[in-house]
Amino acid sequence: MTEDDPTRVPRAKNGRAPDVLRVGGWVPMRCFADDEQVDFVIVGTGAGGGTLSCKLSEYGFSVVALDVGPYWRPLEDFASDEHEQYKLYWTDERISGGEDALELGRNNSGQSVGGSMVHFAMVSLRFRPEWFKSRSLLGYGVDWPVDWREMWGYYREVEENLCLAGPIKYPWGPPRPRYPYRPHELNAAAKVLARGCEKLGIKWCSTPIATLSAPRGLAHPCVYRGFCIAGCSTNAKQSAINTWLPRALKAGAEIRDLAMVGRVELDANGRVRGVHYHREGQWRFQRARNVVVAGYAIETPRLLLNSACPQAPDGLANSSGLVGKYLMAHCNQGVYGVFDDEIRWYKAPPSLSLTEHWNYTDEGKDFDGGYAYMSQGPLPVEWSGTQTGNHKLWGESLLRDMERYNHYAGLKIVGECQAMETNTVRLADEKDRFGLPIANVTFAHSDNDKKLIAHAKNFMRTALEAAGGYDIWAEETETAHLMGTCRMGDDPRSSVVNPDGRTWDVPNLWICDGSLFPTSGGVNPSLTIQAMACRIADRIKALAARAEV
Amino acid sequence: MRTRARPADRLRALQDALAGNARSPALLRSEPPVGAQESADVARLLNAGCAILASSVLADSSMEHYRGSFENKAMFVPPIVSTLALIASLHGASDRSARAERRRDAIYALSAAAAAAGFGFHLYNVGKRDGGFCWENFFYAAPIGAPWALLLSGTLGVAAERVRDTRPGGIPHIFGMAAGRLLAGLTSAGLLGTVGEVWLLHFRGAFQDPFMYLPVTLPPVGAGLLASAALSSKPKKRPLTRFWMKLVTVLGLAGMGFHIYGVHRNMGGWRNWSQNVLNGPPIPAPPSFTGLGLAGLAALRLLEGPKNE
Amino acid sequence: MNNRGPRYPGYNVLDKRDTPSWNEITRKVIDHRLTLDGPKFFTLEEWLTLRALCDCIVPQRSGRAPVQCAALVDHKMELDQRDGFRPPSLPSQREAWRRGIAAINEECRERYGGAFHELTGGQQDRLLRLLEEGEASSPAWGDMPAKVFFKRRLVHDIAAAYYALPHAWNEMGFGGPASPRGYVRLDFNKRDRWEAIEQHD
Ligand SMILES: Cc1cc2nc3c(=O)[nH]c(=O)nc-3n(C[C@H](O)[C@H](O)[C@H](O)COP(=O)(O)OP(=O)(O)OC[C@H]3O[C@@H](n4cnc5c(N)ncnc54)[C@H](O)[C@@H]3O)c2cc1C
Ligand code: SF4
Repeated sequence: MTEDDPTRVPRAKNGRAPDVLRVGGWVPMRCFADDEQVDFVIVGTGAGGGTLSCKLSEYGFSVVALDVGPYWRPLEDFASDEHEQYKLYWTDERISGGEDALELGRNNSGQSVGGSMVHFAMVSLRFRPEWFKSRSLLGYGVDWPVDWREMWGYYREVEENLCLAGPIKYPWGPPRPRYPYRPHELNAAAKVLARGCEKLGIKWCSTPIATLSAPRGLAHPCVYRGFCIAGCSTNAKQSAINTWLPRALKAGAEIRDLAMVGRVELDANGRVRGVHYHREGQWRFQRARNVVVAGYAIETPRLLLNSACPQAPDGLANSSGLVGKYLMAHCNQGVYGVFDDEIRWYKAPPSLSLTEHWNYTDEGKDFDGGYAYMSQGPLPVEWSGTQTGNHKLWGESLLRDMERYNHYAGLKIVGECQAMETNTVRLADEKDRFGLPIANVTFAHSDNDKKLIAHAKNFMRTALEAAGGYDIWAEETETAHLMGTCRMGDDPRSSVVNPDGRTWDVPNLWICDGSLFPTSGGVNPSLTIQAMACRIADRIKALAARAEV
Repeated sequence: MRTRARPADRLRALQDALAGNARSPALLRSEPPVGAQESADVARLLNAGCAILASSVLADSSMEHYRGSFENKAMFVPPIVSTLALIASLHGASDRSARAERRRDAIYALSAAAAAAGFGFHLYNVGKRDGGFCWENFFYAAPIGAPWALLLSGTLGVAAERVRDTRPGGIPHIFGMAAGRLLAGLTSAGLLGTVGEVWLLHFRGAFQDPFMYLPVTLPPVGAGLLASAALSSKPKKRPLTRFWMKLVTVLGLAGMGFHIYGVHRNMGGWRNWSQNVLNGPPIPAPPSFTGLGLAGLAALRLLEGPKNE
Repeated sequence: MNNRGPRYPGYNVLDKRDTPSWNEITRKVIDHRLTLDGPKFFTLEEWLTLRALCDCIVPQRSGRAPVQCAALVDHKMELDQRDGFRPPSLPSQREAWRRGIAAINEECRERYGGAFHELTGGQQDRLLRLLEEGEASSPAWGDMPAKVFFKRRLVHDIAAAYYALPHAWNEMGFGGPASPRGYVRLDFNKRDRWEAIEQHD
């Protein structure tokens, strides 16, 4: 391999970091010594950690953000190839079991500077306001310790940072300002969804999506190449790697790539001292006044559990016993059908249209919660996985059906999943390449999830039929996204972190990622993760002003 | 010295004109007579404007309809008609004679008619899509404003022939109306319509570059100046309006430059021309303003009277 | 339907290699993929079984599955490129494949008296259905459930390898690599001139 292999040799060091917007480019980076006590060490640079790194450094705190993943320059490092782009995913071993075992890796876990957003599908939706108080207002789940109006402002901040392209008027929920950029042209796959909705008389709209419909600075607009979840080599996709992190660097944060945090260390008083991390072949220790864990819903609890020590024998911040519990995913069943028309769903971002009808309608449901559904556009390897997995095809029947690729269209839900204490992340005996115990994940759907899935599959089948589809079939098991495992709440007995994102047990240990979610909502999570990160940054700033950080 | 026409007179004159009364006195009286050479010159200027409009339409409609895979036979019409209009206009621009030319006239009338039909087609295309007359369809279905430039090329062309037909020493008129006023009004409306189309497309592009505001701010001012010239009865010099028309003329060319740059700054730049020329900013569109700027200048010449007066 | 010709006759995504549809790194990784041709991880015996398995999972009109299919599975094992998770009942992928192939051949010998690649097409097919249904019985499987191995490793890895090959993209009419040039025409029944033309009958 060449010398500049970002998977082997760190790029962000010696006072510079890669310029993600220029081939071979660099930007200056402030660097801190390991024994310098920085204000914040942030573990993970994805939707949560990347956003927080930016906000905290812009507020004047000294920040070192560590990520085990490589620091890519999308323009030069991303091939138009699903197989090659596995390099973006978390492919270190994890064990995944339970009745409805989750697919991890490509399906929901990234390992790059920029986190899972590097390969996310860019769908950026706000929570329905009532979901922040679903227990009080809708009678299921638990309440978030935050008010939706406060989140509404932070959503806006994120939408502007990502320059979302979205409809002029969003058909559901309370009014919101116009999206910064205009919606994209719909591809045929998105029009299938539209047709179905029009026939069934429900609203639909073009998806608010984090890819540019017009130029922005050095970033090009979308070229509709459709490789989004294999990474966007155009830089049209707006995510942590090309929005929050460049801002963070400019504001003086240091980002360390290929840096795996193995343990957060407590001092004798039960306060965090810093983190042990592995980089360039050796274990190092970075001192810090505060540590924020933002490794996503599996790695965050894993790190806390792996950091068990005499002061915290069950793992850090785990006096409630809830670290690693209430793991959630989204129900993500797809329904697929064949059309006489050529659809060619490999073109353009996969989910250009959607309906949130069943998120905002409470009548006619035999289940709690809601779901959105969106148009689809899987590429060949992913599609073959669906065909061999859920459709159970192989041999001649597989090849023949794969030949109908350009005539397929599909609809897929993002369905609210009920949090269950029995869905967990624990430690396995097996060790990873750093000698750290790997995660053992257990997941099963609740009865309510199953009812929601049945309802959704039924409805989408009708919608596809109405749009002219035939030979329709539905996926049995499929999930997306990860949430929970360090839930936020008002009560130290029933939650891991307080409403500020601070762990109840350790005053200078914070969590800022998808693992905070007490409930999952029926929309993709990253907009909410980023909005929450902005909110936590503001809380930290306010607390610091009162000398409480 | 002329007396200022009272609004009521002007209205009556307009009604007369619309009723086909060729000798509508109030309107005609307010414009200076021109010599044979002058009317031919003004007509040639108009033809030049039409030529630019027609070539803009030719390039733009060929590109856009190629993008639409010429799905419908009717999609060949605008490139063909605008080619004819371009030929007619070039012919007119180099023709010093003071007589209208029947074939040019017919071609211009044909392009105006084709453009009117084009509006219908485009409107139908927007409406039939899922979602109907919504923003998304106005952005991405057949562009409503696109036939506008062809319509302008056609009508301005017909007007040019009428102006050319002016008797030496007579007052140029078009179907009974004073030609200067009518052209100023037409150009003003043409500018506003074009601005509407540009606004829609630049709004689609989220006005991501501040320069994108220029074509939706400068031309409306010009349109206003021209409109006020059309409504005023005094054949006086209008340096500001003249300046503004020149500005609009240059703006069209500058816009083309910006769009060429815009194609370059899309993914892959000019190497990826086969995508970026179609998906990037339309290079041939902005010169419509140049065509209209020239038409505005022609109108001013009629309104202001001969240069050396 | 089975005997109709290819849906996209004359289409070869490799023809686009030197157009703006491919960038430098894409050329590099696909070129490399097409040079793969033999086992680096599997033994020769295992390789024969793997190739026979590929012929069953992704059978070709014109005979054997392209060698790069098996070679890409081998390559994944050689580099130990993992998926990032596995069911509790399976060992890590290398071990799963080694044990799986051995068990398949054992199962074949017990039932038909020969290794998998020595069986007739019908026998191979029957054996795979048996695995799929969870009816494998050879003790060689040990604690590894044949059914899980079949779904999660055998079919999954082979299909994922096959559909990462330009050969398969041609069959499907997939546009293939697309950067810096993506696509312009997105509507129903629309294609750019650099996309596959479907044969309509
Ligand atoms: C294919 C796909 C499509 C998606 N589509 C959408 C979508 O359309 N819309 C949407 O809203 N969401 C989508 N998501 C989900 C979204 O990407 C995630 O929810 C979001 O990125 C999670 O943010 P996070 O900050 O919690 O974690 P991540 O973004 O995953 O960031 C965690 C980072 O921490 C690093 N890390 C973890 N542990 C350690 C450690 N111990 N030491 C050092 N570094 C560590 C990881 O390498 C990783 O980079 C998608 C996800 C996938 C996989
Ligand atoms: S479709 Fe757009 S966002 Fe997706 S990878 Fe291509 S350019 Fe990027």
